[in-house]
Amino acid sequence: MSSKGKKAPLFAGRYFFYDFTKLTAALPGLVFFRPKVLYASEAAKKKIKGGALLIANHTAVYDPIYLQIAVWYRRHHFVCLKEFFEGKGGWFFKSFLCIPIDRENFNISSFREITEHLKSGELVSMFPEGRINDETEGVAAFKSGMVLMAMRSGVPIVPVYVRRWEGFPRRLTMAVGEAMDVAALCGGRPAMSRIDEISALLHEKENELRELAEKR
Amino acid sequence: MQLTREEIVEELRSILLSADDKNADLVETCSEDSVLSTDLGLSSVAMLYMVIAIEETFDVRFDDVGMDDFKTLGDVVTFIEDHVR
Repeated sequence: MSSKGKKAPLFAGRYFFYDFTKLTAALPGLVFFRPKVLYASEAAKKKIKGGALLIANHTAVYDPIYLQIAVWYRRHHFVCLKEFFEGKGGWFFKSFLCIPIDRENFNISSFREITEHLKSGELVSMFPEGRINDETEGVAAFKSGMVLMAMRSGVPIVPVYVRRWEGFPRRLTMAVGEAMDVAALCGGRPAMSRIDEISALLHEKENELRELAEKR
Repeated sequence: MQLTREEIVEELRSILLSADDKNADLVETCSEDSVLSTDLGLSSVAMLYMVIAIEETFDVRFDDVGMDDFKTLGDVVTFIEDHVR
């Protein structure tokens, strides 16, 4: 499960806060919050190498923590609302490698920042439902911008399903799917209808992962 | 490269047609006054698609520009006219 892009550096000053927080939170995280991780196939078990876009459903604010535990061996650049960067807590999100995005007036700079991270071999994680969804009506439709991002960067998309946590001491269940090579599916400059089709296909995969996770 | 506004509109029509040929009639008849979201029915992702295609076609770069900064096709034409290298 790897793209042809470069590898992210093992050590760099800009990662210090992220790596330090992750290391210190690792033990309590694994003791109290270790999720059950299921895989859609043998291929889905392969470690994610190189640039990749990780997408997941969004049922609660703690989803980013679980994603980081499930794919513990990579640094995640989370795409999150620009409002989180405003005010006193903004430094945390900046230091934690998050990428601000304006949901009301999408800025091309955010798109460029995401694709640059992907092209340089990093992992970007996002929630294409675009909001926290209580799942009363299942996984909400995905916004197709993610397909454009992966296509422009030449990286695969990895779908992950996070089941709603039923509370302590029950462990949360997650399901990881196979990486989808979006650039190969798109080819050249595809029409918007093709991009929407691929987005719908990823939504279908997400629902399959949902079934897998809900069985347990 | 010095393009007239009409030539830029023509290029934009061909970009919009390659993006989505379902609205071919709307695109063929659009003018600089056409509102991107309502008259041409462009979603934010379609706008992003158009921006990428414009960057490739006209060799311009959109920096720190929000999708809502362009209301009409004329706004896009003006941006290209001002930034074309």
